Amino acid sequence: MTSPTPDFFSILETLSKYEVDFIIVGGVCGVLHGAPVTTFDLDIVHSRIQENVFRLLSALQEMEAYYRGRQDPRLKPDVAHLSSPDHQLLMTRFGPLDLLGTIGAGHSYGDLLQHSDEIEMGNLRLRVLSLEKLIEVKEETGFDKDKAILPVLRQTLLERRKGREQKS
Amino acid sequence: MSFNKIKLPNCPDHSSSEDGRLYSESGVDLTLIHWMLSLTPAERLQMLQQTIRSILRMKGDISNT
Repeated sequence: MTSPTPDFFSILETLSKYEVDFIIVGGVCGVLHGAPVTTFDLDIVHSRIQENVFRLLSALQEMEAYYRGRQDPRLKPDVAHLSSPDHQLLMTRFGPLDLLGTIGAGHSYGDLLQHSDEIEMGNLRLRVLSLEKLIEVKEETGFDKDKAILPVLRQTLLERRKGREQKS
Repeated sequence: MSFNKIKLPNCPDHSSSEDGRLYSESGVDLTLIHWMLSLTPAERLQMLQQTIRSILRMKGDISNT
């Protein structure tokens, strides 16, 4: 049964349980960095090496993932889908989860790894895209929805830097 | 750890800007940013989930329970 509200913690816990390599991007990434924005889904860029795709597939099976907005209401992702650079928009029993093979101008997990930070959340260790790179990717895409959020992300980066300078 | 039991420690009213400004030049609410930056990542995510829940409750998509 699908949760009436997204449960991002449970999605992240399940991905971690199966040792999936991924980077949190999108609105949740912004929130984790301190940006006061709202989003209804979790966006991640996953490693598309074969071993990781299999781990991801197992995690998705546990979360009963299927494609959102398709004619076949229960079409499930497979290895070929998860190995592609495309976007897989899924619904899980914990809420919406978007698996992005690449973002912006074709940035893959491997490209983004050096621009990611590791954070601890409870007993989870998670990789999130750096706020600087998140802003850069949103500037690259240039979609109106991304442009709308950019002033908040840029100001959050500015305020965070000010706070760090004051502490040092 | 139960994330649902995290109590958010502050509120925006207590997070005024250092120089007293409430908004940036582009109109971004600085008090909300300062509040969010005062939280841990887990608290920020909890805040997001509570916000979504509140919005859906106002829309009537979920019950009050």
